[in-house]
Amino acid sequence: MAKWGMVIDLDKCTGCQACTTACAMENNRLPGENWQDVLFYHEGTYPNVKLMWFPRPCMHCENPSCVSVCPTKATYKDPDGGFVLMDYNKCIGCKYCQVACPYGVRFYVDEKAVVQPDIRGVFPSETGRQWDPPYKGPQDDPSRGIGIQPHGVVSKCTFCYHKVSKAPKGVADLDEDIPELKEYVPACVRVCAPKARFFGDLDQPNSNVNKMIADKRGVRLKDETGNKPQVYYLSGGATASVPSLRSMSDSDKG
Amino acid sequence: MTSVTVSNKEISGKQLGIMLLALIGLLIAGGMAVNNLLVEGHAAYNTDNLGLFWGFPIVIYDYFLLTSTGLAMVASMALIFGGEEYRPIIRRALWLALAGLLGGVAVLMMELGHPLRALWAIPFSFAFSSPLYWKVMAVSFYVISLLILQVRMLKADWRMQDLRINAMVTLVLALGVTAIAGVVYGSQSFRPFWASGDIPVAFIFESLLGGLAFVFFFTYLAYAFNPAAVPESVKRLFNDRLANLLALAIFIHLLFVLARMSSGLYGNAEGLQVWQTLATSPLFFAEIIIGLLLPLVLLMYPGTRTSPWAQILASLLVMNALLISRYEYIIGGQLVPLFKGSWAPELLSYAPSPTEWLLLLVAIFLSNAVNAFGEVTLRLGREG
Repeated sequence: MAKWGMVIDLDKCTGCQACTTACAMENNRLPGENWQDVLFYHEGTYPNVKLMWFPRPCMHCENPSCVSVCPTKATYKDPDGGFVLMDYNKCIGCKYCQVACPYGVRFYVDEKAVVQPDIRGVFPSETGRQWDPPYKGPQDDPSRGIGIQPHGVVSKCTFCYHKVSKAPKGVADLDEDIPELKEYVPACVRVCAPKARFFGDLDQPNSNVNKMIADKRGVRLKDETGNKPQVYYLSGGATASVPSLRSMSDSDKG
Repeated sequence: MTSVTVSNKEISGKQLGIMLLALIGLLIAGGMAVNNLLVEGHAAYNTDNLGLFWGFPIVIYDYFLLTSTGLAMVASMALIFGGEEYRPIIRRALWLALAGLLGGVAVLMMELGHPLRALWAIPFSFAFSSPLYWKVMAVSFYVISLLILQVRMLKADWRMQDLRINAMVTLVLALGVTAIAGVVYGSQSFRPFWASGDIPVAFIFESLLGGLAFVFFFTYLAYAFNPAAVPESVKRLFNDRLANLLALAIFIHLLFVLARMSSGLYGNAEGLQVWQTLATSPLFFAEIIIGLLLPLVLLMYPGTRTSPWAQILASLLVMNALLISRYEYIIGGQLVPLFKGSWAPELLSYAPSPTEWLLLLVAIFLSNAVNAFGEVTLRLGREG
C-alpha cells in the first residue's frame, strides 16, 4: 500500500501560479475557487513592504479532521494510497468538513461565484451537474470526487487520484522527468517550472520525497492540530511560515 | 367557575387567531424563501468559500434546537424534582419544545445541500467519530422521548410520579443534545474563538435560560397577554421560584459570556482578534446591557419582579439576547479566514441576506403555528 505525499520546496517556489492553473484545467475548477492555490501575503506598509507567497494544496492528512467530523462518511481516507476523497453520492452539504479543515481547502459548490460573470450560468448543465464546461476531463467518478460536481456538495483536491492511482505498483516517486511515469504525476507537480514540487510514496524509505524530508528537514503545516499532513514543506529547517493575519494588521498599524 | 370557562373560550379563540396568523406568515415567508432558493439556489445565502461556511440559517437552527432542549430540561426537571407547583407549565413547555425543534429543523433542511439524503445517510453511516452523527441520533431519540411524554400526559389525571422515568430519559437526552451541540464547536481546536472544554456546559446553561424565558413569554401569550386571565397557581410560580431561576440563569450566562470575552481580549491566538471587533460592536452592547442586564434588574428589583409586564419584557429581551449571542458565537468563530492569503480580508464581513432573514420568520411562524395548535387542541393550560 502506498502512502502518497508531496514535498514543496519553498526556496524554489516562485509563486508563478502554474500549479494553480494546471489544477484548474485538469479539474475544471471555477475561477477563483482553486483546489490548489498559491497564497500571497504582505507585511508592512509602503515603502517597507515584504511580499510572500505560499503554495497550498489539500494536505491529504494522515489523521484528517474533515474525515472524522463527516456525519455520513462522505469524505474518507482511501486505504490504498492515503488520498482524502469525497463521495458526492453521500455528501449532504452540511459543510462541517469545511469548518473542521484547518487549511481552508474545501469548497461548497453552490456558493456565489467569486469571479463574474458566473461561468456556471454561461455553460449551464442539463444533467444535474454544477455546469457543463466546453472542455472537461474524461474522468468521472463521483464516488471519489472526480469530474464535474453535482449540486449541494463539498469539493476538494484529489491529489489527481485519476492519474496517480494508475501508476505502476511499487513505484517510489512520480517524477515528471521520467518519461514513462509523467502521465501519472499530479497536474500541479508536473507543470512546476522551477521544480519546487515532488510527489512520491512516503511509506518507501528510499523514495526521493522521504530523502528530501530527512535531508532538508521537511516540516508539516500546523502540525499542532494533529492532522498530520502528507504534504511537507522544505524551508531551510525553519517552520513553514505563513504570516498570521493578526501580525499583518499589527505591522500595518506601524 | 363560569367566568373562567368564558375566559378559556376567549383565549382559545385568540390562540386560533395566532395559529391562523402564523400559518399565513409561514405561507408568505416560506413561499418567498423557497422562491428565492429556486431562483438563486444556495447563492441566496450570504455564506462563502472564503471562511464563512455556516451562516444565519445554522444560527437559527441551533437557537431553536437549544431553546427546545432548554424547555425540555425545565419540564423534565420539574417532573423529577419539582413537585405539584410546577404542574401548570410542564405540558406547555414540552409541547413548545417540540414546536421550537420543528421550526429549527425546517430551517436546517433549507440550508443543507441534500436534506432528503441526510435523513438516511446520517443514521446509516455509523459515523461514530462525528459529533454531528451523535447529535442527529440524540435529537431523534429526544423527539421520541418528548412525544411519549406528551402522549402520557393526554390523560387529564396524569400523575407526576408516573412520569419520572420518562422525564429522566428526556432530561438525559436534552442534556446530551445540548452538550453535543457544544462539542461541535468546542472541539475545533484551531478556532480559538470556539474551542474550549467548557462550551458544552455553557450551552447547557444558555439552553436552560432560553427554556425559562420561553416558558414565561409563551405562558403569557397563551393567556393573550392578559394578566387577569393567568391562573393564580401560575402567578405564584412565576413570581416566586421561576423568577428567581430566570434571574440566576441570566447571571450564569452573563458570567460565561464575559469570561469568554475577557480571555478573548487578552488572548493572542490567531482568531481571538474577533473579540476586539465584537466587544466594541453595538450589537454586543445591546445583548449585554439591554438583553441581559436589564432583565436581570427587572427580575431582581422587588418593584418589578412580580409585575407580569416586567416579566414579559424580561423574557422577550432574553430571547433576543440569546439569538444575538448565538449569532456572535457561530459567526465570530469563522470571521478570520484560514489560508486565503491576500484573496481575503483579515476579517471577513457577514450580514444575513434577505432570504436568510426570511428563514428566521419561517422558524418563528412555524413554531408559533404548532404551539398555538397545541394550545387549542391539547388545552396545554388546563392544569393552571
